[in-house]
This record gives sequence, C-alpha cells and structure tokens, in this order.
Amino acid sequence: MREKNVMLLHYLSGVGILIFGGIHLFTVFFTRPLGETVWETTLLFEGHQFAILEVYRNMLLASSLWFLLLFTTFHGLNGLRVILIELFPNRAVRSATRYVLLFLGFALMVYGTRTIVIAHMIR
Amino acid sequence: MRATRAQSRSYSTVLKTMLLPAGYSVERWSYTLQRVTGVVVTLYFVLHVVETGNFIGGPGVWYVPSKDFAASYYEQVKELLHNPIFDAGLVIIGWMVAFHTINGLRLTLAHFGITLGKPTRVDPESPPRSFSNYQRAIFWASIALATFAAVYSVDALFGVLSG
Repeated sequence: MREKNVMLLHYLSGVGILIFGGIHLFTVFFTRPLGETVWETTLLFEGHQFAILEVYRNMLLASSLWFLLLFTTFHGLNGLRVILIELFPNRAVRSATRYVLLFLGFALMVYGTRTIVIAHMIR
Repeated sequence: MRATRAQSRSYSTVLKTMLLPAGYSVERWSYTLQRVTGVVVTLYFVLHVVETGNFIGGPGVWYVPSKDFAASYYEQVKELLHNPIFDAGLVIIGWMVAFHTINGLRLTLAHFGITLGKPTRVDPESPPRSFSNYQRAIFWASIALATFAAVYSVDALFGVLSG
C-alpha cells in the first residue's frame, strides 16, 4: 500500500480509537460513584453495572472493545514502523520491521479476540 | 546490509534529534513527546491485551471456562496488579494517552490543512515558526488536559477524594 494511504489509515484509526477508547474509558472510569476507586467498582468481576463480565456480556460493548483492539493494534504498530523508518532509512530494516510487526499484530488480534469472544460466552 | 561508521554515527544523531528537544522550540517538544508517548502507550497496550487475557483464566484457556474458575483466577491476578507502583504507572499512562490523543488531533487537522493558517513570507532574521497560533493553542491544551487526566486517574485509582 502507498505510504500516503497508510498514513491516512493511521489518522482514521486514531479517530476510531478516540471514539471506541472513549467508550472504554467511560465504562471503566466515569461510571463509578465519586469517592470510590475503579478497583472497588468497575474492576470487580461481577456485581456492578459496568463490572468486567457485565461489559463483555453486552454485545455492543464487547464489539466496541473488538474495534478498539483492531484500531489500536494497527495504530500502535504502524506508529512504531514510522519511527523505525525515520531512525533506520534502509531497505533491510524496513522489510524486517514489516514482517516482525505484521506477526506481532496478528498475534495481538488473535489473543485479544480470544479474550473478548470467550468472556462474552462465560455463563 | 552492514552499517558503515558514518551511517551509524548518523543513526545516533537522528536518535539524539528525536529524543532531546531541550533548548529547541515547542514544535520539537511536541514531536518528541508524541513519539515517546506513542511508543510507551503501545508497549502498555501489548501488556494490557496480555493482562486482560486473565479475565477468562489466563493464556492457556482457549475454551469457555466455568464462571467460578475465571472469577477466582481473576481475583488472584487482581491482587498481584493492585499495588501502588502499578497504579502510579497507570497515572503516567493516563497522562500520556490524553496528551497523545489531543496532540494527535492537532496533527490530524494539520494533515488535512485545517488550523494551519495562510502561508506567510519567510523572515530570514527570525527563528523558524511552524506552529500557527491555533496549533500552538492545541498543543498547550493537550498538556493541560493530560495533566487533568493524570489528576483524575490519581483519584480513580487511589481514591484520594473518598476521604
């Protein structure tokens, strides 16, 4: 893909993270009563409106977490790629970087998707 | 491909340029902070994906476990992660995420030509100015919001307002 389009995707995924990351941070940080920490409320396994299992059981919230995983994986790893290209502008490093980051991205997506799907199905 | 001595010297120059903005303009600080926060938050993200894998019973679980098993596994991990050092780390991550978000919005707007203003005549006598007033304002807003986010996270994680 041309560098111009990759950078466009970088900005678009950034805006995506702003939206889905906003939802994620909202459920974890802004649904607790003031004066209680997240550890006592949203980071409980169960028993709060936005406790862990409650969030994953909700189809919309679980899907939004998956999109957050997708966008952040791309945005983070592409960011590393851009920095490495700036640091080492040679073809060998660029090509090695591409394969290492593709593998890392694939592994992150598989592992993260596993967590979301299975946590959604726990009864 | 083997790097020659001249090449490896230039790598260290680039690294120094990337990482040491002291004595330069805020544009350079913005550049460095965006990269440093990006790398640190990416590392945090990788660990976060690994760590949240413990909600369902750890890395070995590729089936749907019983709720009791997942819950007790999670409680053990939570006991390990719930300590002042990790919480302090999360406060720093909160600062970095907020800064990277707002400063990243500035870069996104700049990419599409928004907030850049009209091009002006270059004055060879004055130092280079690449931030427009809007861009400069967004940069300082990102610092301010990041600091607010850090203060908010201190309360959310340590419960300082609970008294």
